[in-house]
Amino acid sequence: MTPLLEIKNLRVTFGGFTAVDGVDLQVQSGELLGIVGESGSGKSVSMMALMGLIDAPGIVSADALRFDGHDLLTMTAAARRHIIGKDIAMVFQDALNSLNPSHTVGDQVREVLRLHLHLRGAALEARVLELFEVVEIPAAKTRLKAYPHEMSGGMNQRVMIAMAIACEPRLLIADEPTTALDVTIQAQVMDLLARLQRDRAMSLVLITHDLAVVAEMAERVNNRVAVMYAGQVVESAAADTLFDHPRHPYTHALLAALPEHNKGAQRLSALPGIVPGRYDRPLGCLLAPRCAFVQDRCRAARPDLIDGVRCFFPVRK
Amino acid sequence: MTEAMTEAVLQAQSLTRHYRVSQGLFKPHATVKALDGVSFFVQRGRTLAVVGESGCGKSTLARQLTLIEPPTSGALLLDGQDAATADKPQLKALRQRVQMVFQNPYASLNPRKTIAAALAEPLLINTRLNAAERNAKVLQMIERVGLRPEHAQRYPHMFSGGQRQRVAVARAMMLSPALVVADEPTSALDVSIQAQVLNLFMDLQQATGTAYVFISHNLAVVEHVAHDVMVMYLGRAVEQGPKHAVLGAPLHPYTRALLGAVPVLKKADRRPRIALVGETPSPINPPSGCSFHTRCPLVQARCRAEVPLLREVDGRRVACHLAEA
Amino acid sequence: MPVPMPVPVRTDAGAPTPWREFTTAFASNRGALLAFFVFAAVVFGAVFAPWLAPHDPVQQFRYYMLTPPPWQAGGMAQFPLGTDELGRCILSRLLYGARISLMIGLASVLLALLPGVALGLLAAFHEKWLSPLIMRLMDILLALPGLLLAICVITILGPGLVNTVIAIAIGALPGYVRLVRGSALAEKGRDYVTASRVAGASTARLMFSAVLPNCLAPLIVNATLSFSSAILETAALGFLGLGVQPPLAEWGSMLSAARDYIERAPWVVTMPGLTILVTVLSINLMGDGLRDALDPKLRRAS
Repeated sequence: MTPLLEIKNLRVTFGGFTAVDGVDLQVQSGELLGIVGESGSGKSVSMMALMGLIDAPGIVSADALRFDGHDLLTMTAAARRHIIGKDIAMVFQDALNSLNPSHTVGDQVREVLRLHLHLRGAALEARVLELFEVVEIPAAKTRLKAYPHEMSGGMNQRVMIAMAIACEPRLLIADEPTTALDVTIQAQVMDLLARLQRDRAMSLVLITHDLAVVAEMAERVNNRVAVMYAGQVVESAAADTLFDHPRHPYTHALLAALPEHNKGAQRLSALPGIVPGRYDRPLGCLLAPRCAFVQDRCRAARPDLIDGVRCFFPVRK
Repeated sequence: MTEAMTEAVLQAQSLTRHYRVSQGLFKPHATVKALDGVSFFVQRGRTLAVVGESGCGKSTLARQLTLIEPPTSGALLLDGQDAATADKPQLKALRQRVQMVFQNPYASLNPRKTIAAALAEPLLINTRLNAAERNAKVLQMIERVGLRPEHAQRYPHMFSGGQRQRVAVARAMMLSPALVVADEPTSALDVSIQAQVLNLFMDLQQATGTAYVFISHNLAVVEHVAHDVMVMYLGRAVEQGPKHAVLGAPLHPYTRALLGAVPVLKKADRRPRIALVGETPSPINPPSGCSFHTRCPLVQARCRAEVPLLREVDGRRVACHLAEA
Repeated sequence: MPVPMPVPVRTDAGAPTPWREFTTAFASNRGALLAFFVFAAVVFGAVFAPWLAPHDPVQQFRYYMLTPPPWQAGGMAQFPLGTDELGRCILSRLLYGARISLMIGLASVLLALLPGVALGLLAAFHEKWLSPLIMRLMDILLALPGLLLAICVITILGPGLVNTVIAIAIGALPGYVRLVRGSALAEKGRDYVTASRVAGASTARLMFSAVLPNCLAPLIVNATLSFSSAILETAALGFLGLGVQPPLAEWGSMLSAARDYIERAPWVVTMPGLTILVTVLSINLMGDGLRDALDPKLRRAS
């Protein structure tokens, strides 16, 4: 079955610094793809590159960037605009910064509908109201006239989701959608996203640093989780397999560092060191300076992604 | 007064902090009840975790505990002395007993000061050590938090978030305080770095006997570091007591909702999800009676009318009409 | 029990120092770099005027009045830029005039900067009473346009070099106070200032040790740009006869005196005019370059 989204060998560089280094990703229709990584992993940059949001001096290149069979790289800018925002939509982390502070939230949703679906008048109003109700914004009619700064973080995030699903996208990319929210609101928004995915048979790409969030979202859908480190995908597997039997030392260390896996212990199992920055990229495997299982071969050469894991000596159960 | 309270490093009694905010030109000033009668104590060498969401008053509490602002009413006893009635020199001396680690590692260090200068500042202000002695202490602390001596002359922007937090912890420990208030110290850090920094906190506590007031919204972290837990909602404590009681068998509906909302990796460890209606009300106009009644799934008539007081139930204190032993 | 030593962490040891980042960013701006060299040449000329000037600036050569520059008919190599209506060497007067203009510029900037910083910091840290008082005083100063204010001050104090400096400084003061107050208010709320407060820092230490170093970037840019306005104002006052008095060579008064000779002997006007233009332009370009180099958000990603 042809995947809905296919990314082959995506590379993004910023003046000599490689933020995304040969990333391969696939999303099937109706599937959840969780992209997990810490800061500097390139997870956000990859998706921004897909959406065409990387400006100069960033350079984006890929062997293939296919959505529903169409190559996004070879399309004209106009053709791409038809797809981005309509069939592929994105929700960002900080809703307050992503919404225009000078326009009411109602106007911002109307803009999306006007541009992509060419709705006007009564049809437009009805659809906007309907969207607000779908994302569970209470007292929707009065809220349409509110400005972003008058609403809470959770409400703003719902508005962003409304804008994203307005045109019934086939693929929704959510970049850390709940990181800036309170715990109880986070749960509400994640439930909303899960429900929307099921009801609309939408594919969802969830970018997050929180493994538990991915685990809960992956419960009832076909899913895949890709773990990224320093610009590369280091492991890719279904959520259950990944969390129960992590093969890459980094995934293994991430799971081991979670407080919930260290119950009763005095100290948390911690991966020493930090992600390599611009000026200290190792020649060999990027994790080599920090890896507990490092060997000489790891310091000399960079492993390829083979059978879903990028490691010369994957962790065996 | 129990024996535990007599060796308390910090004791808060009905700590209250109200702010007057203007509501525009023609409307009267409103009062924000950021903190509304919070009482607790922290023992030497132990950690009290303060848990709550936005609007609960935990940031205001942090500012109260570090003596940045005086309380509107109530008492704050540090080693027996009331900070609310202290005069300037007494306050300066008290300040050395309480220090703070901030949430955002990218904003809590002066960008124009080297690490060494930032660490030496508390010593410069509060002690009579000469330059050589200060320098020696600075280097000692730098190594203690896991950095190297050559990092001393570097500027903050050359360090990662986790390293900056180490520096922030070092700065807080320079005066050997009895209590450190940590305001979401690992919330802005990645999981692997969070583990490193939490380990640092625990190691230092074990080595120096410093007490912590650990403010966090991450219940998994709280489970790991805390001895006692206080759950706050709209400026009041709704449940407080030892960790195993509050987190293991929560009695207050809000605590239960919080625990149910936290994403957990292992299915077996998950708590039942309790759906809360709506969002946290504004502290300018808190609801009547129990401030949680607008969202509580178990709300009754009594909850709307009567403010529940903190009562000792089943090994902890809880403010709920419906929580019985 | 000693704290177990964690694995040592590495920093970006290869990252450039702040000074290196600044010089690279500044140098990448071609206009600013060129302007810097031009300005350096002006400063060089001013500093070494006694050795570079072919003649004494006040000496009048009665036989060579209104001599054109050497590249025009009737010019002489003896006077590289010609002479003015009283037979004084224009090049020498320009060089000595540079001394005066630069000195006035520097002095007025310092005279406005130091009290401006102090007042701005005080206003930022004492928001209840001191801030409104200081800002209203500054508003009064701002009520008059810069040049008019300078003229008023000169009228009260009398013309001359020192009074010119004072007049220009008073006009520039409100700008500094506003700038510093704005920056300081923004920095005051940051966590690192709170951290210093928690450590027990006094207000004075907070003002000068914690906040001020972080307000320097816009301050430096403003100081550079007001240097060029000071030169222009000096020239304007000199043109009006209110600033530096003859026989001191000053670019503005040179312009004023040469008004009648625009058609007959244009070089008497164009030489000082061009000098003012080039100097002010170079300082402004340098200031723009400084601002771009110091403000990380405006810097192009390298």
